[in-house]
Amino acid sequence: MSLDVLFNQFMSGIARGALLFLVASGLSLTFGVLRVLNFAHGSLYMLGAFLSYSIWKHLLIPVVGFYVATIIAALLIAAIGLVIELFLLRRLYSRGWPEQLLATYAVVLIITDAVKWGWGGEFLSIPRPKPFTGAVLLFDFPFPSYNFFIILLGLGLVVFLWWLVYRTRLGDIIRAAAHDREMVSALGIPIPWLFTWIFVLGSLIAGLSGAVSAPYGAIALGMDIDIIIECFAVVLIGGMGSLPGTLLGSFIVGQVYAFGIMIKPELALANIFIVMAVVLIIRPWGIFGKPER
Amino acid sequence: MNMHRAFARRGSKAKWWVLIAIVVLAIAPFILSEFYLSILCEALMMSLLALSFNMLFGYMGQLSFGQAAFYGMGGYTVALLITKLHFNFWLSLLAAVAVAGLLGGIIGFFCVRLRGIYFSILTLAFGQLLFFIVYKWHDFTGGDDGIQGVFPPDYLKSPVIYYFFILLVFLGVVFLLWRLVNSPFGKIMQGMRDNAVRTEFLGINIARYQLIAFVIAAAIAGLAGAVWVPFYRSVAPFYLMWIKSGEPVMASIMGGPATFFGPILGMFIMTFFHAWILGFTHFWPVIMGALILVVIFFLPGGILGFAQGRMTNRRKKGPPSKG
Repeated sequence: MSLDVLFNQFMSGIARGALLFLVASGLSLTFGVLRVLNFAHGSLYMLGAFLSYSIWKHLLIPVVGFYVATIIAALLIAAIGLVIELFLLRRLYSRGWPEQLLATYAVVLIITDAVKWGWGGEFLSIPRPKPFTGAVLLFDFPFPSYNFFIILLGLGLVVFLWWLVYRTRLGDIIRAAAHDREMVSALGIPIPWLFTWIFVLGSLIAGLSGAVSAPYGAIALGMDIDIIIECFAVVLIGGMGSLPGTLLGSFIVGQVYAFGIMIKPELALANIFIVMAVVLIIRPWGIFGKPER
Repeated sequence: MNMHRAFARRGSKAKWWVLIAIVVLAIAPFILSEFYLSILCEALMMSLLALSFNMLFGYMGQLSFGQAAFYGMGGYTVALLITKLHFNFWLSLLAAVAVAGLLGGIIGFFCVRLRGIYFSILTLAFGQLLFFIVYKWHDFTGGDDGIQGVFPPDYLKSPVIYYFFILLVFLGVVFLLWRLVNSPFGKIMQGMRDNAVRTEFLGINIARYQLIAFVIAAAIAGLAGAVWVPFYRSVAPFYLMWIKSGEPVMASIMGGPATFFGPILGMFIMTFFHAWILGFTHFWPVIMGALILVVIFFLPGGILGFAQGRMTNRRKKGPPSKG
């Protein structure tokens, strides 16, 4: 096996890792602050992809149509996230985590049927937008330039989240709330307000990543559970609620998947779980995670 | 969470309910249509899945989101042995329990190190892994076609006779589980649920006891799947899927996870409601989702838990608890 093949595989792993980071970072952020694992995060991602398809199809704006559709879809998903937080999660913060998990699971089921009802069961796709329609040659291998768009977007989100969490006042509150919620509340910070906006931000990220995933893969029913399981693997490997952990987890899962596909495509997913199992034996809370208090 | 203790205290009354339920179940096949008889069979075997789930959740505090994988693996073991090797029916059932238990041992080895939501995610991941293996391994498992023509032996071919076989398996497992959760082992499980640190200080190896409980639950789920598949004559990868794993979770929360019989009640309601509603619409998941939300918001503690809470309160003449 020559080096250029390996490099090509490495690069497609990077692209996949970037997409995973886009989705998992929203999941991890929500969990880190709210301590609620949003099962429906993958469903919001799927809904974002379907919505962007429909908007793109109706707008028919040349050149920038895809980007406009992506932004509108992300905002719509953020609005749906607002509704979920206000009417569902807000009433459940005082209850146990099983009820919270189950409530978001109910949202998964509802969105699954909503998508089936609204778009039917067929595969949809959006062509790659300009200027990312072509391919770049990496050591004589064609590499879709759209993958670079996803990688750039992933890097952009890393920088944005790092800035948000470590360099802003809101970030101070986020980190403090993840550490000691009651103390933050006692200092006069309205926790319910914080939770709402963090959940909306997480949903926005889910909708955005769903929309940009559309030209990368296909839009189909079942993409919600596929992505959420891989995201769970990412956050379990990296450590839940940790930004560097999510980044590292995305990188690992992306690489394991890319090289796994090269060796035996059927077992690509199995490899991810094997890596996850090994990590969890050594560090049950993930590489950057902290043990539950 | 101590409602099942209250339940045990009212044991004499519960005994009558159980007796009535057994009598109803015994005469049911002579009243029900063939369609609803098969729904009843499914409800009984899915109830065992729900009980195996709730043994881990209600009694041990660990929410498994991959329990259906063992149900499906039990079903696949029987289907493969009977159709490909023409294995003896009873030995196939035994093998299915062994396979499910063995897989439970391997998966449980990793999962019991984790608590709370981490445990749920890992069981979900392993469940989906088994699902994907069955789904993709087309040469061996038939892939998404599943396996058809899984027949029980001739003397069990009549639906009514097979129903009574299912009923016997159901009652036997319920009895054994009832004994188990009320044994010292059951007390250890509840101790781990209520306070893991204290239980560990009593000299109890938590990981080992959780692993044993996980293997038992997996074996029960495997048995339930193994007994169901020859009745239905076929098996499909859907049986292992996350959405199937959500059903015991849902049934337990609906019936009352803090009660022994709650998961059975929840699963019966769900299975019959599902069979009935499919006559009108194929949008079952959205109905199930709405049902989950209704139970969470309006029936905290589940149906049995809610009813028992009210009965206990009336007896005490205290203020009604918030559940």
